Amino acid sequence: MAKLFNDLRERLLRAGVARASVRLYLAELADHLADLTEAERRAGRGRAAADAAALFRLGEADGLAKAMIERRQFQAWSARAPWAIFGLAPLVLLAGAYLGAGLILWSGWKMFLPWADTPFVPIHGPAVVYFGLGKLAYFGAPLVIGWTVGMIAARQRSNAVWPMVGLMPVALIAGAVQFHAVRSPPAGAAYRVWMDVPLAGMAGALLHSVEIFLITATPYVIWRLARARLPDRPAA
Amino acid sequence: MAARETNPHFMNGVPELLILRLLQQDEMYGYEIVQAIQSRTGAVIAVGEGVVYPVLHGLKRDGALSSRRKTVNGRTRIYYCVTPAGSHRLADLAATWSTLTAAIKDMLTGGPNGEAVQRPA
Repeated sequence: MAKLFNDLRERLLRAGVARASVRLYLAELADHLADLTEAERRAGRGRAAADAAALFRLGEADGLAKAMIERRQFQAWSARAPWAIFGLAPLVLLAGAYLGAGLILWSGWKMFLPWADTPFVPIHGPAVVYFGLGKLAYFGAPLVIGWTVGMIAARQRSNAVWPMVGLMPVALIAGAVQFHAVRSPPAGAAYRVWMDVPLAGMAGALLHSVEIFLITATPYVIWRLARARLPDRPAA
Repeated sequence: MAARETNPHFMNGVPELLILRLLQQDEMYGYEIVQAIQSRTGAVIAVGEGVVYPVLHGLKRDGALSSRRKTVNGRTRIYYCVTPAGSHRLADLAATWSTLTAAIKDMLTGGPNGEAVQRPA
């Protein structure tokens, strides 16, 4: 029985059925099967016969899977629109994180270092915490986004192509872009913060991108290798 | 053992109609629903019992059903009942079904339009 449910779970997830729908379906099927077994035992069948009869009444795995798969309303977004979940959403999130980091840099510069021509100077006290939040968003966002992409792909049993498609642009952008902050002359005028891709250090940027890609993709690759070795793992 | 499943070509939309009708009278959980369908249709309608859940979940997503968890004899069950939107849906489905079955019956028994399918002499 555990094998039936485990196989069914894998089939449904691979077919793109949302994880929450799969969980609810399997939970209710398990309850239903318990009721059926109980009814068959009450009807006087032995344990093995009752189990077999209950499974027969529950329905074949093909039919149980098909009933869920053919209803599009149960499809996860990562199956309905993988380009959006793995391609677009990570870039939007990365842009949001960089915008937040830029705002922290700009506002912190005005608050804690109004006299400085650049915020990239030694800092002390509360400024360390404030600018630290910006650094966390700038350096941490690509990693968190990349790991999240891998986790979604793993949980939904998505085709491996999609997370790779999602991770590569994130890693490329994260490795290449840099913040700049300079007060435009004359002194005391606007505080300018912007991002760009410095062409001078492209080799270093590319190396940094590869590092980010490897750090974010490795957990997903390890998970896939582990699953490939254990195709018949027991039900979770 | 259960009887063979009813010919699926005739079953499109039937489980949904029957489930809404049953749940309009009383809240039930999946196992109860399947048993009620079998007993009230004299086991003429038989489906793989597990197949009832995608229908229930689909109706719930559409707002035709609501559900609540209830613990009975130490087991947690999910009970479903019809919402006002589900009642409207049931009325529509029942009307469509009645029209359809009446038309098919006429065809088979040579009713008002039965001559349309008779072979020319």
